Amino acid sequence: MKKFLGITLGILTAIGGFVDIGDLVANALVGSRFGMSLAWVVLLGVVGICVFAEMSGRIAAVSGRAVFDLVRERLGPKAGLANLGASFFILGMTVAAEIGGAALALELATGVNYLLCVPAVAFAAWLVMWRVKFETLERVFGLAGLALVIFVVALWQLGPDWAQLWHQASHPVPPQDEGVPTYLYYAIALLGGAMTPYEVFFFSSGGVEEKWTRRDLSVSRANVLIGFPLGGLLSLAIAACAATVLLPAHVQVDSLDQMVLPVALGAGQVGLALVILGVFAATFGATLEVALSSGYSLSQYFGWQWGKFVRPREAARFHATILVVMIVATALILTTVDPIMVTEYSLVFSAAALPLTYLPVLMIANDRDYMQDKVNGVFSNTLGTIFMILLVAVSIAAIPLMLATKAGQ
Amino acid sequence: MTRARVLHAQLHLLDRQVVHDRDGRLVCKVDDLELDFDDQGRPYVTAILMGPLALGPRVGGVLGRLMEGAARLLGAEAPPRIPMADVSRVASAVHVGGDLERPALERWVRTHLIEPIPGARHEAE
Repeated sequence: MKKFLGITLGILTAIGGFVDIGDLVANALVGSRFGMSLAWVVLLGVVGICVFAEMSGRIAAVSGRAVFDLVRERLGPKAGLANLGASFFILGMTVAAEIGGAALALELATGVNYLLCVPAVAFAAWLVMWRVKFETLERVFGLAGLALVIFVVALWQLGPDWAQLWHQASHPVPPQDEGVPTYLYYAIALLGGAMTPYEVFFFSSGGVEEKWTRRDLSVSRANVLIGFPLGGLLSLAIAACAATVLLPAHVQVDSLDQMVLPVALGAGQVGLALVILGVFAATFGATLEVALSSGYSLSQYFGWQWGKFVRPREAARFHATILVVMIVATALILTTVDPIMVTEYSLVFSAAALPLTYLPVLMIANDRDYMQDKVNGVFSNTLGTIFMILLVAVSIAAIPLMLATKAGQ
Repeated sequence: MTRARVLHAQLHLLDRQVVHDRDGRLVCKVDDLELDFDDQGRPYVTAILMGPLALGPRVGGVLGRLMEGAARLLGAEAPPRIPMADVSRVASAVHVGGDLERPALERWVRTHLIEPIPGARHEAE
């Protein structure tokens, strides 16, 4: 049991990355429009995030340095600041969207308009970050987010045409009524969702919060190898549910209640209750992950004391950052901007910023000054280099594709 | 006997995290270095400089000037320095000893924003 609780950091990180509000909707939307023909992107994303999260976890365990320390160290103050600015903008938008997503889940459960739930959700999230121990936080929300496994159960209950789903997955071409640019746009959005930079900000900082040392390298690796594939599985199950129920009916998903509809059909009332719980836990957990990441990244760039392992007054600037981000994000979502649209855009922007974050990680993982004997092996370097090339291509294509397809219309 | 390490100021010192030896507290980044020259005119590093007044000029542009301006508003005149004599080890972080004042911004934020909130002095539960 204790061993199992040791991997909740990976689970929470992956849930915040793979099935937060933007990805929940993006996956269901992709399933309802493209079937399973984009499944390969999710698999690719799982491998990619595993490779870089393993490196960043290893760096954190051996050297005690988290990802944004590395960004400043290897990119220098100017390019590091550019990355910080871009990351911070994306993090702020994402926090707003996750608060909105958690409030939407509450609206589904209670019928109270989501805007009325927003301040309560934001305050509760801030209170958790202010008072609750890091281990408790990751365990509670990581495990509650596992309620989303109901998507796998519901898919089973729906009794889909497995052969057809397999056929879609093994033929990575867009369906007849969809164009190639749109298909590629969603491929990039899914990859951006799977490999969101804040996952490694959070994962490596979480390793430092948990005081990982060289002895914990196996714990770090177990977190990576269980957490992220699980996130990928949930992601695929959501798309498959939508492909089974909504694709034949030509329904295009653009809201949360459409997304949970297949679960209600497949697993009934209990399933619906579980899925709403799962969505709430996942979005609330993602709120914590992203808001904490904003504090981590700013503090690590400037070298401030950060972390929940010290009293708040010892890390005043870190906690002030989180507080300000939460207030701004709450204000943003109260302007009645559509939270789901906000994340759709932030996914693509973060795809554009991917190389800026992962290149320093790859460089430092090869630096004996930091890693002593734990530098990358041939396997990590080969995969890391291949993904680096892919990410550069993705970052160049992301914004033009977004403009060309009018964000996947 | 191991051979003495050659340190590359740009690679091994600049932009690295500074950690306090006594309690492992994160102090700052190596925002800039103070140099002096010996009799033969060779430069050597005398101190680590920290804070916005040290980082601002390295960032340059409008943002750099904003950093410096904000620091001067808080009453800073010169960037705080840590003499190289206090540096005990250079690894994935630069370890320093000695007594250090907390940065002006940390003190200001702590007094005016964080400490008034209940629970600021307590460990998380």
